Amino acid sequence: MTRGFAMLQDVIMDPDFPATDLALRHGRHIDRDDAARYALLLDGQEHLEAFYRRYGCELIYKADGYFYLLPTSDALPRRHLGVGDMLVGQALALLYLDPASVERGGLVTKEQVIEQLVTVLGGDALIRLFLPKRRRIDERLAQKMVRAKVDEAIRRLAALGFAEAIELPAGAAPRAAGGARADDGRLRLRPALLRFAEPVRGLSAPAEALAKLVADGEIALVDDAPADGEGEGDEAGEGGGDGDGDGDDEPELET
Amino acid sequence: LSAHRHDPHRVLAVVAERRLSLELPTLDLGFVIALHVRAQRAQLAAFDEQQLADIFAEVCTALEPGAEHLKKRATYAIARLREQRMLARVDGHGLVRTGEYALTRLATGIVEFFLEEDVLTRESLTLLTATLRTTLAEVVAAAEGAGTVVETWQRAVVGPLRVTVSELVAGIERRQRGLDLQQEEFQAEIRRLLEADWFGAIERCQGLLESTSATLRELNEILLRETSMLLALVHDLEELALGSGVPDAEDAVQRVIEQLDRIAAWGASRQRAWSEYFQYVHRYLRDVVRLDPSRALVQRLRDQLTGTAGKPFALTIAGAVPIRLLRTVAPPRDQLPVVRPKAPREKEPAADDGVDPQEVLDGQVQRALDGGRRTLAAVTGAVNDEVAEGERYVMAGRVAQTAARLARARADRERPWVAVDDQLVIEDWRLATTGQGGRR
Repeated sequence: MTRGFAMLQDVIMDPDFPATDLALRHGRHIDRDDAARYALLLDGQEHLEAFYRRYGCELIYKADGYFYLLPTSDALPRRHLGVGDMLVGQALALLYLDPASVERGGLVTKEQVIEQLVTVLGGDALIRLFLPKRRRIDERLAQKMVRAKVDEAIRRLAALGFAEAIELPAGAAPRAAGGARADDGRLRLRPALLRFAEPVRGLSAPAEALAKLVADGEIALVDDAPADGEGEGDEAGEGGGDGDGDGDDEPELET
Repeated sequence: LSAHRHDPHRVLAVVAERRLSLELPTLDLGFVIALHVRAQRAQLAAFDEQQLADIFAEVCTALEPGAEHLKKRATYAIARLREQRMLARVDGHGLVRTGEYALTRLATGIVEFFLEEDVLTRESLTLLTATLRTTLAEVVAAAEGAGTVVETWQRAVVGPLRVTVSELVAGIERRQRGLDLQQEEFQAEIRRLLEADWFGAIERCQGLLESTSATLRELNEILLRETSMLLALVHDLEELALGSGVPDAEDAVQRVIEQLDRIAAWGASRQRAWSEYFQYVHRYLRDVVRLDPSRALVQRLRDQLTGTAGKPFALTIAGAVPIRLLRTVAPPRDQLPVVRPKAPREKEPAADDGVDPQEVLDGQVQRALDGGRRTLAAVTGAVNDEVAEGERYVMAGRVAQTAARLARARADRERPWVAVDDQLVIEDWRLATTGQGGRR
């Protein structure tokens, strides 16, 4: 049901506003699955766009059906996803586009995410990308560390609203179109993943699209930096994960 | 097993104890299906051994062309099916003549799963629920006339509930499971359509989605309406059963109520699950397929991931530091020093019923004087005999003071030093009792 928000004050006084505001400021993408928050943003979009502009950021609404906050000045801190998160995010986006995921109602397992990465990048390249500092490393250990890093990336991306870890009550049997237990490592893919495909979605050349997105502040170009070579201790906000303590934590770049 | 059918733990224990298992390779499954089809077509109740061997040979020709030793293999296949209780010997002649065999309920159930499309449809559901309603109404009428006669209840109520009503409800449930399976097949079909024809599959996918949604909605409506009527009948029956005091009747009614509840819950849950799936696929068709008719996005995204499509990039997101919310905490209370309960340093004087030592001493000195001792040394010696060695010096002074009080003491100018015992020497006095005109 659409609420008639005559004034910004009405939006702010809505009981869902504080949680929605905090989530947006922490980088979360809000889609239809966050029903109450999405409805609030949709109903109060006009007022909130002006409201957030005063904080130097844009409330973006994508036609794919999700909202997020994009800082356009230094008033609100911003950050960029780390290389590992970007790799995993693009793999999730590929899975989102795959008709096989449609059969399962958008559910994928963590194993499928790793399979997707291995299929596209190759096992050795994946290890090099996630563990570039490790020159000589036992293959089994390397694979284990990569899996751990993919898990961390998935957790951070889930906190940002790109996916959702599925939990079912104890005793409920997983169904093909229903869900699965969290300990099965299953995820529900969400439409915000299409953000990872933005540079290649349009009809223009990727370089041109990239330049436009950079100009809009949607993305930042990065060097061919490895997944764990970007400093440390700069994780912040909701997306920050707890590393495994081996000095290879996936950071997010802050600006 | 049937005795413990409502207790999963006991059922599992029996399964483990008997080591129940099923192994049905394609050839055996084909054999069982062929037997079922042949039995239906030729109206056969049982097969003799030659018929079994012939049918097995046909199955082998179809599934494993070129297979040899067909007769021997048929014998083994029949033995396997008998061991797994899918084929039963029904003639009972043993060695006397060749046997006759029939498919068991287990084999028939397996074959029906693969062959028969028992899917819930509007027509089948309406027909089944109408029959169920009529049967239940008859059972209620019979129960009203049964009074408390146990035999009548067993024949007219419990029997129909356990057989007719349960079979009808089980029929609905079986068809519900068939529809579940069909939905899964639809989901797989949508995937196949998209993989095969992508943009061209949109219309067919939407058709599949909408037809299934309409079917589920319609079935759910019928279920809601019919189950409420059926439950009303069963609740009437429950009241009658409770009044009759026939425990079997109560159990049978309870089972039917549980089955009906399950049927009603199925409709709502499947409609909800399908609704979620419906929305997801619609969004996919709209946001992914329609916007990418040539299906180029996947390849371009792959190129982007491998780094061949351009420079690597990172998404920008808001990264506000979480607001530090000060917790509302109760102010800490002053920590009191660890103390003991205060107690008066000096004890208050209290009456003591004990013996007064001075009184005792007075008695001792008086007895010594009365005993005729007339010198201080003699009196001290007498008293000190009753005192421990270490206290004799102190006691000597007290004896002198007491003796001076109780008797009259006289001394020369030069008082002689007299030994009281081996260790004590005192200046001696002469003592006279007060009756002898002494000074006090």
